[in-house]
Amino acid sequence: MTQHQSRVLRLLARFVPSDLRESIAGDLQEEYLRLRAHRGAALAAAWLWWNTARVAIIFRWERTAHGRPLPPIGDELRGFASMWDTLRQDIVFGARMLWRQPGFTVVAGLALALGIGANTAIFSVVDAVLWRPLPYADPAAIVSVSEQRPREGRLFGPISPADFYDWRRDSQSFSSLAAYSDIALNITGAGEPERVRALAVSPGFLDVLGVAPARGTDFRPDEETFGRHRVALLTDGFWRRRFGADADIVGRTVIFDGNLYEVRGVLAPAFWWPSQPDVVVPLALSNYDRTLRAAHFLDAIARRKPGVSLGQARDELAIIGKRLSDDFPEENTGHGPNLRPVRDALVGDVRVALLVLFGAVALVLLIACANVATLLLARAAGRQKELAIRAAVGAARGRLVRQMLVESLLLALLGGGAALVVAVWSLAAVRQVVSTQFSQLPGIALIGIDVRVLGVATVVSLLTGLVFGAVPAFMVSDLTVGSALNDESRGGSGGVKGRRARTALVVAELALSLVLLVGAVLLIVSFRNLTEVSPGFQPEQVVTTRLALPSSRYGDYTRVVAFYEALSERLQAVPGVTRVALTSAPPFSGLDARLNLEIERRTAAFSSPTPVRAHPRVVSNDYFATLGIPLLRGRGFTEHDNNTAPNVIVINQVTARRYWPDEDPIGQRISLGSPQQWRTIVGIVGDIRHGSLDADAEPEAYMPYAQRFDALGAGLARGMTVVMRTSLDAPTIAPLLRAAVATVDPQQPVAAIQSMEDLIARSVAPRRVNFLLLSVFALMAVTLTSAGLYGVMAYLVGQRTREISVRMALGASPSAILTLVLRQAGSIMAAGIALGVLGALALTQSLTALLFGVRATDVRVYAGVSLLLAVVALLAVAVPSVRATRVDPISALR
Amino acid sequence: MSITDVSILGEFEQVVLLAILRLADDAYAVTIRDEILQCTGRDVSRGSIYITLDRLETKGYLKSRLADSTPERGGRAKRYYELRPRAIEALKEGRRALVALWRGLEGVLT
Repeated sequence: MTQHQSRVLRLLARFVPSDLRESIAGDLQEEYLRLRAHRGAALAAAWLWWNTARVAIIFRWERTAHGRPLPPIGDELRGFASMWDTLRQDIVFGARMLWRQPGFTVVAGLALALGIGANTAIFSVVDAVLWRPLPYADPAAIVSVSEQRPREGRLFGPISPADFYDWRRDSQSFSSLAAYSDIALNITGAGEPERVRALAVSPGFLDVLGVAPARGTDFRPDEETFGRHRVALLTDGFWRRRFGADADIVGRTVIFDGNLYEVRGVLAPAFWWPSQPDVVVPLALSNYDRTLRAAHFLDAIARRKPGVSLGQARDELAIIGKRLSDDFPEENTGHGPNLRPVRDALVGDVRVALLVLFGAVALVLLIACANVATLLLARAAGRQKELAIRAAVGAARGRLVRQMLVESLLLALLGGGAALVVAVWSLAAVRQVVSTQFSQLPGIALIGIDVRVLGVATVVSLLTGLVFGAVPAFMVSDLTVGSALNDESRGGSGGVKGRRARTALVVAELALSLVLLVGAVLLIVSFRNLTEVSPGFQPEQVVTTRLALPSSRYGDYTRVVAFYEALSERLQAVPGVTRVALTSAPPFSGLDARLNLEIERRTAAFSSPTPVRAHPRVVSNDYFATLGIPLLRGRGFTEHDNNTAPNVIVINQVTARRYWPDEDPIGQRISLGSPQQWRTIVGIVGDIRHGSLDADAEPEAYMPYAQRFDALGAGLARGMTVVMRTSLDAPTIAPLLRAAVATVDPQQPVAAIQSMEDLIARSVAPRRVNFLLLSVFALMAVTLTSAGLYGVMAYLVGQRTREISVRMALGASPSAILTLVLRQAGSIMAAGIALGVLGALALTQSLTALLFGVRATDVRVYAGVSLLLAVVALLAVAVPSVRATRVDPISALR
Repeated sequence: MSITDVSILGEFEQVVLLAILRLADDAYAVTIRDEILQCTGRDVSRGSIYITLDRLETKGYLKSRLADSTPERGGRAKRYYELRPRAIEALKEGRRALVALWRGLEGVLT
């Protein structure tokens, strides 16, 4: 006992009155010793603690229930029970009140269900994408390394290989720094030939992520050397799909692009990377490629060493970058390394869009709260007599407040329950959208209702209940018996305070709705502006598919040309296909490149505000005609522009304007990239949007694929995209295309076949989702607000019935009455709209990044939205206003 | 409305008072609990015994004294309880009321 003794006493001392403490401790010890003699020390000790705790708890309850006379009956739980009893009474009473007013309950519950449900759904998305830890070890230490060109307004661009290898050699801040590049490989051998997504990484990539293969081992450092690089890690999904989860896969060989690769291991099922690769292979650049400093095509990630902050790492890289631009002024002036947390790189612009949606949906919930609060206020006014009487017969104010709060919490939980249904439905829709168009975002697979989301929904419901319940609850608690009964006898209900609170709530609703409407309309206008941008070609009836010929079978350049010639011929013969062309980088495909541009006889002194560069496109003769890109001057390519003819090149209008502002570029000679290879400009074509509709056209230079273009690497010609103008849709043309490819080369796989319109639609898909969701929220807001406005006006008119009757009896015309009522409504609306405009001016600044062709302060948008809201509000007050003019003076005064 | 003056005892209060009466000089929490268990078969929690004793004392039905600090209690005194006349009256009154109510009902409930 001695070791327990003092602790037992200490526990008792906290809860048991001092005069009883000693004797109770003695009793417990006596029984403890008795028990120990019979049942052993362990059981006795357990018994002692159990019973000490129970005694302590009972005294503890007793003390909470103190402060009033002891209950008459010796039931030890009486104090606690009575507390629970009154709460239960409140709950039962509250439930009964809600049940007896089904109209009110359904309307309020629905408003809350929409508000909370939308919040739950958006929270689930925001949580999954922005807040859940990435599936890597210590993800906070992982940074994305990019190259910045501040002068061009570009902060996070791809890296050149030479820069990457220098950074990796010289930096001390990282335990690992690895480059990566998304590529595609053709797998042949057992099974159908297939084009798979691959991630080429420099060794150490998995160390940066802090993951290890589930089977086999990671790459060795020397496996980034060209020639030793034919090893591969399979992702779990690909291993199961292609190899039936073959347990003996490690060490076996597979054929990628006609070369034998040894399977080094299989990644864990949890491995995730935005591009969702099927295989991971070493990034093995040729010795020549490693020296490229002006060609930027790599991305990189790094893991900070423990104790090295993001700022320190950035500073160190900046010093290295500065030295490189001193050493290589031609390539690196105005360039430098840049760092950001890896999640920022993975999430990108979506963060702003998601946070805007989150803010919008929170506003909707606020409006729903205000709406329910006005409903509750109106109801409280109707119940004022009941409450006054309860207060008169001795109900404490606290008890009445608790009653009101219990009711609003019940309502909130009811709404929260219904909200889960709303959330589940809307998440099903959201998942469908995001899984196809935003599959590269982290956490997409986690979107759903889980414990976190449920917890947030519950907390939001309860908070909501408190927020909309507090105002009416304290309003009623404030009433004095006399005033309430008097007020009632005068035919008013709610008093000045209630009226003011209700008006204020409706003004707030109007203001919040206006903010949401302005945001939604700004996004709608942006989207319309964007879709009205001409891409510069005719995307209708164009389908594309990318082919990648393996270098093992197509190492010889003439074979590449022969393959495409044969394929084009076959496709031309397909009924419904009008034109066939090839390109290295079709618009809206995500494929792009950029090379330094040299102009013959231009000295280095030639100054340009931006670096002299152009985007190379390798195309077949029919490309311009197939896509519908207009030829503005000179000529396009013909079958004579082949390997034996002089090298030619066609530029777009931006190139012509930027680099030959005062002269005719046709006939001039330029060279792209290195080694130098002069080509004569023979034509100028129209500008097209290449990456997205909202980016300006860039300088482009087109070269015929039948001529050699060593500067770009021979690989470019092997990875061409077939573009067809056809009256058939993509699903119809797909089997015909596959058949055509198979007749030319049965081992050649075909990637996904997409229509150009789909590609463009995909490029604007995030905006479409944004404006659709924001519009839905705005619509909800306006609906809730109109309902609130209607309720308040109906109430105000009802309240003034007597006054209106007197006025009418004294000869006021119906139109005068209408003016009277509308003036009251008008001032509410004016206040709401004015506040809303101010709020919108402040809040829509956060939208700037999402807008296109419209400013966040566009006067027309504000005026239009205010007018729209005013009209809707007028409709909401029309019924109560007209009702006011129909008041029968006699019956109202009676 | 004050309710402490009402001299009607709760059922459990009666049980406790009767147990004390039966134990005569040896009535302290441990023996009271044992007595209730023996006579009624009810295994009452210790806490409720203490609370009820405390209440009955506050209401003037019981008086207590500290005595008999044996070594097996770690030198802690026992709190012995004894009924005040008021408690005897209340018990008698309770019994009278019950007997009166029971009269004539024996046949119904046997």
